[in-house]
Amino acid sequence: MKFIVSSSYLLKQLQVLGGIINNNNTLPILDNFLFDLDGKSLTVSASDLETTVSSHLDVESSEHGKVCIPARLLLDTLKTFPEQPLTFTVEDNNTVEISSNHGKYALAYASGEEFPSAVDLKDPSSTVMQGDILATAISKTIFASGNDDLRPVMSGVFFQFSTESLTFVATDAHKLVKYTRNDVKATETAEFIMPKKPLNLLKSILAGSEDEVTIEYNESNAKFSFDNTVLISRLIDGKYPNYEAVIPKENPNQLSIDRNQFLNSVRRVSIFSNKTTHQIRLKIAGAELNISAEDIDYSNKAEERLTCDYQGDDMQIGFNSRFLTEMLNNLSSDEVSLEMSLPNRAGILTPVDGLDEGEVVTMLVMPVMLNA
Amino acid sequence: MEVPELPLRKIIHVDMDAFYASVAQLDDPSLVGKPIAVGGSGRRGVVSAASYEARKFGVRSAMAGALAAKLCPELIFVKTNFERYKEISDKVRKVFFEYTDLVEPLSLDEAYLDVTENKKGNPSASLIAQDIRAKIKKRTGLNASAGISINKFIAKVASDVNKPNGQKTVPPEEVLEFLEALDIKKFYGVGKVMKEKMYRHGIYTGLDLKGKSLEFLEEHFGKSGGYYYNIVRGIHTSQVKSERTRKSLAAERTFNENISSEIFMLEKLEHIADEVERRLKKSNVAGKTVTLKIKYSDFTLQTRSKTLALYIADKHLIMETVKELLFQEGMKNSVRLLGISMSNLNNDKKEVLKVSEEKKYDVQLKLEF
Repeated sequence: MKFIVSSSYLLKQLQVLGGIINNNNTLPILDNFLFDLDGKSLTVSASDLETTVSSHLDVESSEHGKVCIPARLLLDTLKTFPEQPLTFTVEDNNTVEISSNHGKYALAYASGEEFPSAVDLKDPSSTVMQGDILATAISKTIFASGNDDLRPVMSGVFFQFSTESLTFVATDAHKLVKYTRNDVKATETAEFIMPKKPLNLLKSILAGSEDEVTIEYNESNAKFSFDNTVLISRLIDGKYPNYEAVIPKENPNQLSIDRNQFLNSVRRVSIFSNKTTHQIRLKIAGAELNISAEDIDYSNKAEERLTCDYQGDDMQIGFNSRFLTEMLNNLSSDEVSLEMSLPNRAGILTPVDGLDEGEVVTMLVMPVMLNA
Repeated sequence: MEVPELPLRKIIHVDMDAFYASVAQLDDPSLVGKPIAVGGSGRRGVVSAASYEARKFGVRSAMAGALAAKLCPELIFVKTNFERYKEISDKVRKVFFEYTDLVEPLSLDEAYLDVTENKKGNPSASLIAQDIRAKIKKRTGLNASAGISINKFIAKVASDVNKPNGQKTVPPEEVLEFLEALDIKKFYGVGKVMKEKMYRHGIYTGLDLKGKSLEFLEEHFGKSGGYYYNIVRGIHTSQVKSERTRKSLAAERTFNENISSEIFMLEKLEHIADEVERRLKKSNVAGKTVTLKIKYSDFTLQTRSKTLALYIADKHLIMETVKELLFQEGMKNSVRLLGISMSNLNNDKKEVLKVSEEKKYDVQLKLEF
């Protein structure tokens, strides 16, 4: 087995795939890339058993074969090369020899048959959407997902497809983001929970991409195909919490404010907040929003005043400033609206402008119950 | 040789002898003295326990029924009866609790006991172990073996030494010697794979293990390297964790004279709350539900309770709720007993909402899914 490939072309593909390889694998074979050569077509795969990603490359060859090449070693080598053709030759002594303009490098390989094969999706349904839209949906939601092993369903992003729209939801029970696209539709309704790791990979590959992504799914797996890449991931098993039920319907108190101003104030004030609770206090009266924080242990204190548009009763509500910053940061509008009912009920943060046609973003944040 | 300077504890590991098989023999005396194997579905199943008579033939637990039958043609298979095991196990545990509350059951038939401080005030763990074994024999008719030493690991190894129906004490001054002479495969956590790995590095006994540096062990055995390094030096700090979970915690007081004024009741309740707080702190729990118990002079009993949004363990917070409950409605009569109980305890420790000493408990709320 022998093929010739451009070093930077190969590196680019492998770096993407490498994102899926765990640092400490229980199965040593997973530390490898699978190279599957079929004439001029080379398919490279990486897997962590949960997710398998394969990329298709055009190479110079007329041979066939399958080998597993150590990922770390190969990536480290490729990174050092200026762009040039590399020749990969599988030798009889169980090594792959790479020859470059500079010299020769031999890597021990494992048999391609040892590599776990990706699951075959049985009777999948499918939906097609633009890569960029999927990447946006992921980046708008994924930060809100949880890390709690006790509630694995909340460690992923909930995909809810219907014939009218696609909805993506993530929550860690403190904050929640619901991202809906009314301009993209599925042929039938479907729901599944995608784990975070493959989504992060998809997000980085698909950002700004105009390629179409085909999403196929059944009860246990989802497959994302685009351009020259296929990603198959196991879904998180379980029932997603009924998030609609926790979105408050009646929110008489409405604050609307410049997002950047609000974000900057929260950031500054939060520096003075308690280092474990990150708690800040919003006092709203008339057209004034007062943001304050205090760290009693160190006698640190800060307070800022902002003008805002406010309809509702005077109120005081506490939030974890980290949640607020994350959420405000994730929005891109000039102005945001914060709707509230009571100091112990969720606040609803939405962008006022800057949305694409058919795009709906709803963010929920649970307050900190203030004692005094 | 010096014993590491750790607070010396007295740990007993009690292990019932061939528990499942012995229970079967107990319930069916015709089986006594015969080789029996307890397994789910006779010859097609797997042996989950074997009597000592059967063990002589090489029958072991986890062995395929067919193979066991081949080794010992006389072997009698009996069905498992978990309800019965549980019943006997409960009796055995009751014996343990007569000596200490620090009981960590490992399974139905073995447990660790920390008898450093025990209910009998008996300083000799060996005598306690003898007592316990005698009581188990008397109440259940079954034999138990025991290992006694300064930590769980050594106690467990020791209980195997004089099995069946025996016990072995490894006193502090003999700990190191005992461990050095110990075959490496007897170390807890050394299974077949680890054994081979140890053998490959020339480690056959505790002494060999002791000869290796911490760096060496960590390099070859990863995280467990540190564990082995310590264990062979008699250092194993794992506590005996009693799994008994409290459902509620209370304190009450009967008065010499009946009280009719709420002001005086409050004063008494302050003291009771002190006691409740002390017990909560001791058990390291907090409760959500506060119950006020009132017994009137005519011996009628009334309870008033309130469940809060967060766990509390602080006396002032408890009293706040108690006051509310006390003044909720008038007293029907003069009162002879008052009590405060806390329930809905955060035993799982999952949702512990820290209640600080000062009154500044701000709480991050959660979406209620």
